[in-house]
Amino acid sequence: MNRSTEVARDTSVRPGRDLTLPGSSPRPGRYYHLRNNYPTWFAGGALLLYGAFVLLPSLVGLGYSFTDWSAYSTDLHWVGLANFATIFQPNSEYVGAIVNTVIFTIATIILKTVIALALAVLLTSGVRRLSYLYRALIYLPALLPMVAVGIVFKSILDPDVGLLNSTLRLVGLGGLAQQWLTNVSLALWSVIGVDTWKGVGYIMVILMAGLLAIPRDYYEAAKIDGASGWQAFRYITLPLLRPVLAVTTVLNLLYALRVFDIVYVLTNGGPGYATDTVYIAIFNAFSLGQWGVATALSTVFFIVMIALGFVVLRVMRRPEVACT
Amino acid sequence: MQRLFRAPLRLQKRTTIALLLALFSLSSLLLAGCGGSSSSSGGSSSKITLTVLESVGWVHQPEMDLAKKFEAQTGIHIQYQIIPAANYFQVLDTKLNSGQGPDIFGGQSGVSDLQVQYNVTQNAVDLSNQEWVKREDPNALAQATLNGKVYGQEIWDIYSGYWVIVYNKDIFQKVGITSVPATYNDFVADCAKIKAAGINPIYEPISDGWHQVLWYPESGARMEQLEPGLYDKLNANQATLAGDPASNRAMAQIDELYQKGYFGPTALSDQYANTEKEMTSGKYAMTIDGLTEPAAIQAADPSVQASSFGFFPIPILDNQLLPTHPAAPTKFVYAKGSHIAQAEQYLAFLAQPANLQYYVDHDTLSETVDFSGVKAKWTPDQQAFLNQYQAATTLVLQDSVKYVNPQWIQIGKDMVAMFTRQEMPHQVLVNTDTRRTQEAQAAHDTSWQQ
Repeated sequence: MNRSTEVARDTSVRPGRDLTLPGSSPRPGRYYHLRNNYPTWFAGGALLLYGAFVLLPSLVGLGYSFTDWSAYSTDLHWVGLANFATIFQPNSEYVGAIVNTVIFTIATIILKTVIALALAVLLTSGVRRLSYLYRALIYLPALLPMVAVGIVFKSILDPDVGLLNSTLRLVGLGGLAQQWLTNVSLALWSVIGVDTWKGVGYIMVILMAGLLAIPRDYYEAAKIDGASGWQAFRYITLPLLRPVLAVTTVLNLLYALRVFDIVYVLTNGGPGYATDTVYIAIFNAFSLGQWGVATALSTVFFIVMIALGFVVLRVMRRPEVACT
Repeated sequence: MQRLFRAPLRLQKRTTIALLLALFSLSSLLLAGCGGSSSSSGGSSSKITLTVLESVGWVHQPEMDLAKKFEAQTGIHIQYQIIPAANYFQVLDTKLNSGQGPDIFGGQSGVSDLQVQYNVTQNAVDLSNQEWVKREDPNALAQATLNGKVYGQEIWDIYSGYWVIVYNKDIFQKVGITSVPATYNDFVADCAKIKAAGINPIYEPISDGWHQVLWYPESGARMEQLEPGLYDKLNANQATLAGDPASNRAMAQIDELYQKGYFGPTALSDQYANTEKEMTSGKYAMTIDGLTEPAAIQAADPSVQASSFGFFPIPILDNQLLPTHPAAPTKFVYAKGSHIAQAEQYLAFLAQPANLQYYVDHDTLSETVDFSGVKAKWTPDQQAFLNQYQAATTLVLQDSVKYVNPQWIQIGKDMVAMFTRQEMPHQVLVNTDTRRTQEAQAAHDTSWQQ
């Protein structure tokens, strides 16, 4: 392999490098910079749109969070940190919403990951027959609109005529029938259950892709060495799946922190404030015309999400196999 | 240009395709933008469609009939968008604040609502010069007037549309209740008797988010009777709901009714739309509704006679007053709409005397409306009730005290929190006061300035 071929191979995959043919003049031409930076042009368009529709509104929102912006007056005044103080004052409904969001986030991440991982392992190595059918069926809820899922489950979980309680009564387990969405102790967990049901298929598909990418040789070598199934899972599957688990955890985290639609449809934050999440609280604050407080809450949570996402990625993207 | 593509052939092709795609995407965006603006103007369309945004329960069937008649006469199509009550104000606010309001929007009238909830000076058209304004009840008109300008049209039965306790006479007789309760203690004793007989005393549909709130502000006239001047003090920021003993007692009594199970086991998931069905089932003895509810019950199940239901005032705080409540669902013409003249034309059509009479004659939920020249159709039971009880000289709380009605759904949320013991009755009032303060300060109300 001569030098010029190496250069050609190298530059073909690196944007921003000289794209001249091997053997052609290395002297920059008239349109050298134009030609050399062409990938940036396309990124520039996207960046422009991103800046106009994401960054600029975010910055404006950040500014509004320090004002008394509301539906009740066209005047706008700087109020400093007053909106943030409202959010974190004692007995604030927003504190309850933050706590509920944290519970929802932790619970759904654990439930979705554990169930999805179990199903992924089962469908990649355990169940062979009808495996594709099972995959499709488990993934199906992920394709359904969240509002439709919410309406259906609201009907299923109705305490009086809902399918769940009716079935329980029919099989003689009427004692287990509950007010699933109106009992303060159960409502949040019912929402978590419905959300897990809907989201587990999506996570399972990602984990299956990760599992199928692990070379079979490792398992065969482990088997020869006498490793049990659990040991193979513990010392091969889990470490090698770690980058994929990091991705699913971040995806779950960002989704759960922003959860709105399923809660809105199932309980609208009720009974009382029992299932209020941060985004429901933001929505309610906007509805009450307290736009300054709503943007302050959005700002706080935006920062929290970035920080948590960063921490999770840092923790979970450590080298998957330690050197010995 | 030729020199620009002096790269390998494959690269040239890729670059060209990429450029074409980028140009295509950009042109699509521009075309979409242009297309959007032309369709939204709608001025060139031969058939005009007026959009009317309303909450569930605000539009009755005769109005739908009149809309069809209006279309037949004028060619203007009326498209109603009916939103569930719990979400209505969120949807409306979103549309108004984004400048995408419907041609006509519904709302509960009330001076503070006009200002706070709908910002009518910016969002609604001044209707003061419309002919029908002279025929509308002055009390109702006052609720849709701000700074001397009429912004809304209220066609509603405010004379018999009182929120009262509607009770099943047969159930009362069956459990041995011989007269309707005149005090709160009598009411609780009657509820206990009904419950002991295996019947749920009160159908209280809480899941809609608004109905359970009625118990409290509808007792406002009684609070004012117990402490004259309370409304003025509340509006002047010289008193608070949490600081008023009668207000606290009222909320505690409402809570007691729930805690004793008088609202039934599934109250938190019960829906207002099922009221007639539940009342005909015989599983519930009472509910809060209007004087027209017996007719609606009979319409839902013709085997049940309207005359088997009676009325008495909501007995919280031993109330025996009929709550005067001129604020009601009202239509506003959206000031930034494309068809303001047609919207005004539609409101004028609805208020024509013949159409008002058609509305009253064909609506099971109205016995009359708040316009002069309309013949009422009160039943003997309703007439006897109106004769028996004294109409309150003051209005219900939400019509007279500022910054209450706009937070109706939030009060409902707090009351559910109270029922489920996340809050105590006093805390509900504290939260209501806090929101009143926030709204007043945001509105730069001089009474709340430091």
